[in-house]
Amino acid sequence: MSSGTLGGLMSMSENGNRPAAVEARGLVKTYDDVQAVRGVDLRVESGEVFGFLGPNGAGKSTTVRMLTTLLTITSGSATVAGVDVAADPDLVRRRIGVALQEAGLDPRQNGRELLILQARLFGMSPAEAAERARELLALVELEDAADRRIKTYSGGMKRRLDLASALVHRPEVLFLDEPTTGLDPSSRLTIWDEVRRINAQGTTVFLTTQYLEEADALCDRLAIIDDGRIVREGTPASLKAELRERLGLDADPSLDDVFLDATGRSRSKVAGDVQEVTA
Amino acid sequence: MSDAWVLGQRALREGWRTPEALLPTLFIPLFFLVVNVGQAAKIFPSASTEFLYGQGYGAFQLPSSLLLAGSFGTAALFLVEEIEGGYFDKLRATPVSRSSIVLGRLVAEFAKALLIAVLMVILGLIFGITIASGVLGFFLLIGLTALWAVVFVGFMQLVALKTRSAAATNSAGLIFFPLLFLTPNFVPRDMLTRPMEIAATLNPVTYVMESLRSLVLQDLHWASIWPGFLVVAVAGVLMVALNVRTISRYD
Repeated sequence: MSSGTLGGLMSMSENGNRPAAVEARGLVKTYDDVQAVRGVDLRVESGEVFGFLGPNGAGKSTTVRMLTTLLTITSGSATVAGVDVAADPDLVRRRIGVALQEAGLDPRQNGRELLILQARLFGMSPAEAAERARELLALVELEDAADRRIKTYSGGMKRRLDLASALVHRPEVLFLDEPTTGLDPSSRLTIWDEVRRINAQGTTVFLTTQYLEEADALCDRLAIIDDGRIVREGTPASLKAELRERLGLDADPSLDDVFLDATGRSRSKVAGDVQEVTA
Repeated sequence: MSDAWVLGQRALREGWRTPEALLPTLFIPLFFLVVNVGQAAKIFPSASTEFLYGQGYGAFQLPSSLLLAGSFGTAALFLVEEIEGGYFDKLRATPVSRSSIVLGRLVAEFAKALLIAVLMVILGLIFGITIASGVLGFFLLIGLTALWAVVFVGFMQLVALKTRSAAATNSAGLIFFPLLFLTPNFVPRDMLTRPMEIAATLNPVTYVMESLRSLVLQDLHWASIWPGFLVVAVAGVLMVALNVRTISRYD
């Protein structure tokens, strides 16, 4: 176990009595003979932006899908917003917002219809749903495109709409699974601003990303998962400081260096294998 | 149920906005009606063919076309698109009941099938077919066709949820053809060869077809009508139950 992970566990015990936004203990997901997640322990405090990093296939999305009730948990336990995910998934769904990889939207509806439908599914009346949709469209600056079919939206517009749809019921915890993958720099910065604004209003954000600069810019704390296990956990600054001290470096390393060290990859190997982590 | 209706309205909008998927469900069955009547009408003249009850062969064939119209299952293909595109997970991440997610599409399919069946019967009336069972018979005819559509799309949704594959779901829809051709499609059951008669008797679609046919050709003849409704009721309950079970265990 790395010192980064020890640091993370230390913060867990220090904060053990405070209610966690997300807490996982020994989370395991097995498909047939393959263990995709091999005992993940996590604690995310209320109000944090928590980054969840890892190479492709490391178990990020599988973990998120278990925490958001979309996948059954093979073993271990998890609570989200204080509710046991396996015991009361419906209550968890009422307390979380979810924007998954590849904005999952219905291309045949327009933006307004999609938000109204989402609000209705969270129990709002037609009038309340229409009002909430109007607020959210203004928030993500899609008022002009509100009555256009979603299939005509750009990638950035779809992500913003997806984000808005995850916020209709004012969730306590917002799960964002690679919200900026495939977006141009301008759209990415817009999403970052939205994440900061949402978090400033008190929503805990659980963010998975492959962009380390994104994690550095947005996250209060982060965890790195590799091969189904958490291999580092802490604040970006503490993780960099730990690596600097351990390797005797003259200056703080980048989060890229922390990531490569944690996942046992070298820059040359990464350049050939998983180029996206070098972004 | 209100969630199912909200989702049903969305599915109806989806159908309305995809006319290229909706129109074939009207035109292909009409095409088969015209072709089948063109090929066999001379063999079965209305004046001398007892099983036509004085009507033309088109009246005998209309139920086959209504069943075909109710057997496209396009809602299941939309569901696969939704699974592949990620919107299905978005719905699963809401607190709406799993049964509402299934029922929403089935409600919409029922409404679409009602519309298609009404249009087809009206076209039939224009071309001289009479609904011998009267106004009540007309509504039973339309309702039974729409209920069959719910059963069939329920089956295709089941395949969609199990396989999550557009190709597999599309292929599963072809099962309708053996089911249709193992019925008294061109002549009454007692005129089939013995092996075909046995196959048709074992095929539940036969009873739906005979029920529809009775409503078109005869006055309300309940002994012929109720077996068709029994088949769609039992198959409908089974399909809804299996769909709800599958979506509840969806991982």
